[in-house]
Amino acid sequence: MFEGIPLTWFLILATIMFFIGIYGFLIRKNLITILMSLELVLNSVNINFVAFNKLLYPEHLEGMFFTVFVVAVAAAEASVAIAIIINIYRRLDKIDVENIDEMKY
Amino acid sequence: MSAESLILFFIVGAFLVGVAVLFSSYVPPKSSNPQKFEPYECGIPTEGLTWLQFNVGYYMFSIIYLVFDVETIFLFPWAEVMKETGMRGFIEIVIFFFILGVGLLYAWKKGALKWE
Amino acid sequence: MLIMRHELLLVAILVILLLVEIFLPEKHKHRIIPLAIILMGVVTALGFIPGPTGSLFGGMYSTSNLVLIMKNILNIGTLVIFIQSAEWLKKDENREKISEYFIVLLSSLIGMFYMISSGDFLMFYLGLELATIPVAAAAAFERFKEKSAEAGVKLIFMSALSSGILLYGISMIYGTIGTMYFQDVAPKFTGSSLQVIAFIFFFAGMAFKISLVPFHLWAADVYEGAPINVTSYLSVVSKGAAVFILMILLYTVFTKIALMWRDVVYIIAILTMTVGNLFAMRQRNIKRFLAFSSISQAGFILLGIIGQSQLGMTTVIYFVLIYLFSNLGAFGVATAISNKTGKETIDDYDGFYRTNPLLSLAMMLSLFSLAGIPPLAGFFGKFFLFTAAAKQGLFILIVIAVLNTIISLYYYLLVIKAMFLNKSDQPIAYFKSDFYTRLGLLICSAGIIIIGFASPIYEWILQLSHGLIY
Repeated sequence: MFEGIPLTWFLILATIMFFIGIYGFLIRKNLITILMSLELVLNSVNINFVAFNKLLYPEHLEGMFFTVFVVAVAAAEASVAIAIIINIYRRLDKIDVENIDEMKY
Repeated sequence: MSAESLILFFIVGAFLVGVAVLFSSYVPPKSSNPQKFEPYECGIPTEGLTWLQFNVGYYMFSIIYLVFDVETIFLFPWAEVMKETGMRGFIEIVIFFFILGVGLLYAWKKGALKWE
Repeated sequence: MLIMRHELLLVAILVILLLVEIFLPEKHKHRIIPLAIILMGVVTALGFIPGPTGSLFGGMYSTSNLVLIMKNILNIGTLVIFIQSAEWLKKDENREKISEYFIVLLSSLIGMFYMISSGDFLMFYLGLELATIPVAAAAAFERFKEKSAEAGVKLIFMSALSSGILLYGISMIYGTIGTMYFQDVAPKFTGSSLQVIAFIFFFAGMAFKISLVPFHLWAADVYEGAPINVTSYLSVVSKGAAVFILMILLYTVFTKIALMWRDVVYIIAILTMTVGNLFAMRQRNIKRFLAFSSISQAGFILLGIIGQSQLGMTTVIYFVLIYLFSNLGAFGVATAISNKTGKETIDDYDGFYRTNPLLSLAMMLSLFSLAGIPPLAGFFGKFFLFTAAAKQGLFILIVIAVLNTIISLYYYLLVIKAMFLNKSDQPIAYFKSDFYTRLGLLICSAGIIIIGFASPIYEWILQLSHGLIY
């Protein structure tokens, strides 16, 4: 399925996704959207791992396993984050970044 | 499939879609009335906003579902090599399930599975 | 099995606590506190028994005697924090969640153990995540305070972002080298530009976790908002574990590009010490104050890491041990005051000595040790760190560090002045601290005094660190 697609393309895709994720993390206001941006970051790393594994080092499956674990950990992270966000929603009725500014310098 | 053919595929695909869209926007007869812009043209009128909020209870379930759903990702590699790993692999997966089961029991005991 | 005894013991008490929580009737819930403390004490004691070391899972997990010392240090820290949090957990609003608190912190501790004895990047990543995600839940522990939830959300987002950055670095390392086992990765480092980028990403991710400047901005908010015991856990145990693993990785995996990372660490060390100190000076909230002081202490730790030798490794471990007792002592007093009166600003401490002499003496001891006043342990910790850096001829760095020590002395003394000299119309009234608080403070004060005078501990660590760097 991947034959003939050069590795660079995967890496470019992953890098673009990574920075879209970082950008979203920085400018988005809604906490859930920020969480989605973080998932983009993690998934770009997954693309990297799978592409490296498939195209450069196909003899071992280390990259694939890493991806599996990253997915599982991302789910755990998302569930804890959502739990905290729900808690904020219950207290404030809003989940925008501007509303959680009680502590500043 | 090589890279060139992939590019060709995208070009041909975009071309065909573009032709279809243009064709359908010029050729057929047009009529317009307010009902055409309803989400369900031949159904009952919609009520309220689409940005309605879901009950928090859904989130509770989705969190628990998310965690336990993703754990199946670890079962596939095991199922793939089940014959080779034999009893040892089986015991390991049973331990894994035991820990998950304690987690589920805990969620149950804490009332996270109840609909409020 | 015995190689993994530290982790297995913790998993065992975790499962015990979980089952107790499930099956214990509601009215006996408060008994979980002594149960958890006793179990943790037993585990800490068992951890000191010497046993086999080696590697498991084809090299994914490995321990040495030095790693075991690190684990014991983290165990002691967690035990002290458990003791200190007993009084807070007894409050009515926390009654339902007593065992959650212990479970969450214990699972985070297990993550740290796997992290510092990891033998490949996968185990390292899993340990790191297991160490940080539960702490975010713990930071959002006080459900009815906005600040607590805010701290939790800030912590989990920043840690997720930093682990994303770190993972990107790891993926680059995997791409250039083709394996993830530390043993195989280390000799293949060539210092190609892609690997340098990978290292920068990796280091940025780790710097987020240790809250080094310029990645420290989340720390103060999280430390202020989280419950005070979780704050002390974050600033002592979490930070200690992250420093340990950063040191191990720099010494073993990235040893081939040491010339490069030394420059990075050099600059970050100066920035961290200075910025941490400058911000600490203007804090009025005691938690924020201790947060920034712990940021600047992390800068001092980097001084030992840059020493890059057996001596450097020993001094870092020794310093973390001392820092643990000193910082936990300061947090212990702050916890006691916060629990009894709810007051958390330094101005409230005016005239504290007149009403509660013993507590203010304990606070003074801890702060002097943090500042590095000679007879106390903190002085020796800093002194050895400077020695390790001096061996490498980094004299400019040492001069800056000494200047920073003097600055830090100023703001630590401000707190002591508030307690002992300032007069206040309404000082904090006398209160009788309970058994747990006293026990925690006793352990900390004893640690500060004993470690300062007992050189065998230092010698012991030095002896064990032989031959670890390759």
